[in-house]
Amino acid sequence: MVAVLDVADVSKRYGAKLVVDKVSLAVSTGECLGIIGPNGAGKTTLFNLLDGSAQSDSGTVNVAGEDISRWPQYRRARLGVGRAYQVPRPFTGLTVYENVLAGIEHSPVAGARPGRRALEVLEKVGLADKRNMIAGRLPLLDRKRLELAKAVSVGSKVLLLDEVAGGLTEGEVFELVEMVIQLKREHAVLWIEHIAHALMAAADRLLVLHFGAKLIEGAPQEVMSAPIVKEVYLGISVDDAAGA
Amino acid sequence: MSYVEAILNGLMVGGLYGLFGLGLALAFGIMRIVNIAHGEFVVLAAYLGVTLLAVTPLPLPVVVVVVAAAAFALGWALQATMLNRLLGPNPVPAMVVTMGLSIVLRNVLVELYGADIQSIDIGPLQNMGIGFAGLSIGLLPILIFIISVILFIGVNLLLTRTTIGRAFRAAADDHEILETLGFNRRRIYNAALGLAVALSAVAGLLLAMRSSFTPFSGVERLLIAFEVVIIGGLGSLRGCFLGGLFLGVVQVLGLKLYPNAGPLFGHLAFFIVLLVRQSNLGLFLAWGRK
Repeated sequence: MVAVLDVADVSKRYGAKLVVDKVSLAVSTGECLGIIGPNGAGKTTLFNLLDGSAQSDSGTVNVAGEDISRWPQYRRARLGVGRAYQVPRPFTGLTVYENVLAGIEHSPVAGARPGRRALEVLEKVGLADKRNMIAGRLPLLDRKRLELAKAVSVGSKVLLLDEVAGGLTEGEVFELVEMVIQLKREHAVLWIEHIAHALMAAADRLLVLHFGAKLIEGAPQEVMSAPIVKEVYLGISVDDAAGA
Repeated sequence: MSYVEAILNGLMVGGLYGLFGLGLALAFGIMRIVNIAHGEFVVLAAYLGVTLLAVTPLPLPVVVVVVAAAAFALGWALQATMLNRLLGPNPVPAMVVTMGLSIVLRNVLVELYGADIQSIDIGPLQNMGIGFAGLSIGLLPILIFIISVILFIGVNLLLTRTTIGRAFRAAADDHEILETLGFNRRRIYNAALGLAVALSAVAGLLLAMRSSFTPFSGVERLLIAFEVVIIGGLGSLRGCFLGGLFLGVVQVLGLKLYPNAGPLFGHLAFFIVLLVRQSNLGLFLAWGRK
């Protein structure tokens, strides 16, 4: 299968600190790649390099066969790269419907009736009945839903989900996982998440970032049980853990 | 002139003041740019109108449209070539640039037209009026007021019903995530300043039909715009409009009481509004905000 998103050796340096270190990855439609790593491992910066809110120093980012490494953010969005932020950031003065409509109008798959498509997206995330509310008045869970809907509205090809499960109750996390599983049918999904069981349920593969570099990538169970992952993730060496 | 007439006249000119404020408020609301050259753009539009009327056979309504189009292009170009380079958390660089621009424009106008007082001659319309219930109101002020109202309604529809309008509102909300939904931030800004300058230009032309101007009138116009925006509350169309009406009424009533000191009363009223706001008593003003 040809990967929709193909990232080769991207690096980003802020001053003396190498934040993303030659990361390569590939994701196809129908697939969810889970990304984990300790705080400061460069996960969010990696997303910034993919969606264009930061430019990589080296390496290439390909989406649907186009090299978008030097594209400005808005062009990447229009090509179909959608992003959901960790802390939901709706346009607070626009209605829920308008928040989603904006992305759809810029999407190549908008079709002749962007309004209808916007409603479809809102139905998917369960916000259709609140479509005329001002987004700034939404409670947290609904903001999370809207954040997802915004990403979907513009991200027809690739979805970048940055800790979208954070702050949700168990039941809500379960709902979210179901939503992501639905979404990955039509998208290539990258999901950064600290809530391991959520990620395990939705991801087909896991990638561990450590100090900006790829530590390991593979099937979720395999990765989670790898000694090196336990070591960096829990901050203890396997030998110490065994001895204790 | 009775007090009722004075209030009506104040409302008429107030609609125009609201337009002055609108141009300033759009630029600030969307781009966080305080356009110090706002008043000069208003005056420049008036001079452009005078020139077009003098050297071309175009009728007045066409001249208004041409000036508005030229102003849109000017605003677009200014944003694209200069102000987009100054985007960032610090609003001062853009203020300095627009301030410099205002000085340049003022002096260019003096150089080209001299410092004499000018006005736009609108022919017999000047003296036409309508009377009802014992009151007499000039036809021109009524027309200008209607145009102001139409422009306000138009901008409101633009902001709420169109893609570019949603883009303006989204930009005003959070410019950092604007591009995540495919908005091209720079083009949106170009269009926004184009619109802001075009609205100011129309207001400038309309005012030039009612009262005279010199190359130095820009400062006075800018002051009015600031007062309107601050009285009405930033970020609200309705606030702009009501702020304009308030200032207009106070000014014309002041003129009626003391013919030599009309503008003083407008500024005094503004000062009082600031004081009231400061002491959290401005409830009736809060109504004008969203």
